[in-house]
Amino acid sequence: MSAWATWLIWIEGSALGNAIRHAGVWAYGVINLVHIVGIATVFGSVLILDLRLLGWRREVTLETIASIVAPLAATGFVVAALSGVCLLSVNGGEYIGNPFLPIKFAAIALALLNALLLSRLSAWRAKHDGDAAARLQLAIGGGMSLLCWFIAICAGRMIGYW
Amino acid sequence: MKRSLAILAAALSVFTVTAIAHHGWNGNEGEQLELTGVVESPVSLAGPHATMKIRVGEQVWDITLAPPARTERAGLKEATLPVGARVTISGHRNSDPKRFEVKTERVTYNGKLYDVYPDRE
Repeated sequence: MSAWATWLIWIEGSALGNAIRHAGVWAYGVINLVHIVGIATVFGSVLILDLRLLGWRREVTLETIASIVAPLAATGFVVAALSGVCLLSVNGGEYIGNPFLPIKFAAIALALLNALLLSRLSAWRAKHDGDAAARLQLAIGGGMSLLCWFIAICAGRMIGYW
Repeated sequence: MKRSLAILAAALSVFTVTAIAHHGWNGNEGEQLELTGVVESPVSLAGPHATMKIRVGEQVWDITLAPPARTERAGLKEATLPVGARVTISGHRNSDPKRFEVKTERVTYNGKLYDVYPDRE
């Protein structure tokens, strides 16, 4: 069995999964709701930053936008990740063979890697758009971010239809 | 402004299509399937849908019921059907012939009907 399948079975058998399965008929729905609020917070906030990186509303400084978006996106991501692990723990084994879950995780990993690379750009560190080359780098980072998060959401939504 | 609205409308229509897919039964056969068997694993009111397993001959079938709260409202609780009980289920089989799964609308046990999707035929 693949490490992936082993992990899905392990998380279904965990104490967390057992606790949630016995937490009442609304438990799954409520955790799903929390997951969606986390996703909405992440995507809503990175959408604003990414559009700015792509060149929209340059009159608003990167510093201002980043100071609002970064903490919101980070908080939303933690909420979505924790609730997501809870959802998987309820019936992890059922997702073995479902292609959308690994696509979603890969997209999230790429989005996080992209954010890390973006944060190391000198233009980002200076919180200033700079010259044309720097603007292009920022725009690529913003475009990649939008693409990765959008794929993550699409694949995530499709998990239930497989 | 008009263009933004058009983009918003296009984006919303994508999600509407998704919502229809979610509430449809597209992944299942159109014809009604009725099975009579014995409860292999009792009703579980956990997860996105309540589930149970029944054995028909040598084959164990995955019975997918309504969401947990709805299944419970229909009277089907975790202790309602004991293991080994003889039940009849009616629903729609998964369209993948390799999967023995029925998205189930009705369960009958001991002369009592548990209709988890009463608004479906």
